[in-house]
Amino acid sequence: MAIVPHPRQIQVAVVNWLDERFPFTKAVDEAMYQRVPNYANAFYYCFGGMVFILVGLQLLTGIFLAFYYVPDAAGNPAAAYTSVKDVIMNQVYLGWLIRGVHFWSANLLVVMIVLHMARVFWTGSYRAPRELNWMVGVVMLLIILLFSLTGYLLPWDTKAYWATSVTIKIGASAPGLGPLIENLLQGGPTLGPNTLQRFFTIHVFILPALIVLLMYIHFRMIRAQGISEPL
Amino acid sequence: MSRPITRRNFIVWYLAGLLTAVGAAIVAPLLVFIYPPQGQTQTRDVTITLDKAVNDLANTDATKFVSPPETGFVMKDGGGDNAPGKVAFAGYLAKDAAGAVSVFAVNCSHLGCSVAWTPADQLFECPCHGSRFDINGNVVHGPAAYPLSHLEWKQGPSANQIIVTGYTLKGIG
Repeated sequence: MAIVPHPRQIQVAVVNWLDERFPFTKAVDEAMYQRVPNYANAFYYCFGGMVFILVGLQLLTGIFLAFYYVPDAAGNPAAAYTSVKDVIMNQVYLGWLIRGVHFWSANLLVVMIVLHMARVFWTGSYRAPRELNWMVGVVMLLIILLFSLTGYLLPWDTKAYWATSVTIKIGASAPGLGPLIENLLQGGPTLGPNTLQRFFTIHVFILPALIVLLMYIHFRMIRAQGISEPL
Repeated sequence: MSRPITRRNFIVWYLAGLLTAVGAAIVAPLLVFIYPPQGQTQTRDVTITLDKAVNDLANTDATKFVSPPETGFVMKDGGGDNAPGKVAFAGYLAKDAAGAVSVFAVNCSHLGCSVAWTPADQLFECPCHGSRFDINGNVVHGPAAYPLSHLEWKQGPSANQIIVTGYTLKGIG
């Protein structure tokens, strides 16, 4: 007669096996089981968490979009444009939904960040000893705005092209450094395929790495300092 | 609070300086790598076929032309948003009352929108912010503060062709 183990026994065996090699249970306990003070149960303490969830959604939907998006603006219509309009929006199963979630999360993200920062400002949570975390947060705000800026060009439609044209002109109007900034952003003498290649690289390779690193730092500092007490 | 320079202090600063120099030697070329190469902005001749021969164009009239795919014209001069060396994707060949021909880049000197020749008003009009220029490219009405940019050109092989100085722009248009 075969002995069928209880599922619980399998679970215990797996966890024991893992714990003998690395203190996983301890690490999970420390990460998960933290008491939340009563004053932090107010709804406006949730905005930061909502930002975290939205960034997670962005990473997830962004990875899915990258399966079909082609960062190539050469030709007319360009592959970048058709890969969004035809392939992602009309051919891929649920492509419109993945892109829709990416689009709306991006918009909501900025709203939630503003609300989160307003809450932190209102409750005075930026004060000592948490100034450094405020600074990290401001850097993350700038990174999210850079995400928005670079992501806006990627569909390579008329709106994207002219919005970026305006962006580059604003940069190019900087005294002294203007032409250098323009060249650096455009990747050449005019807004074209080189510009899309750059914005794509920044949007997909550089900024996600930075935001994940800074979020980790942000959360570790919150854990170290605790949630600030109300005024 | 200045401390005397000790042997240890000197060596620490020396090593820190060395490490910084090594870091800079690695980072600096990478930053230059990101800056786009300038070699692709070699100018070349772009042959344009006009709607009509240059000689057939009436005085106080202008005709528009567009750069072929993968090319752009080079501005010869210009102020405001335009500048020498910047790219224009279209231009106007214009003849003033005395019959003198000029070739302009299409871009308004205010913010670079495409101006349109309006024969009824005898003006180049910008649809974006209402700047207006006369047939010689001079400002008649703001907000543009500088005249239209000129393009370098010469007569082409046939009567209705001109050769304009431009860039090769891979993948554009």
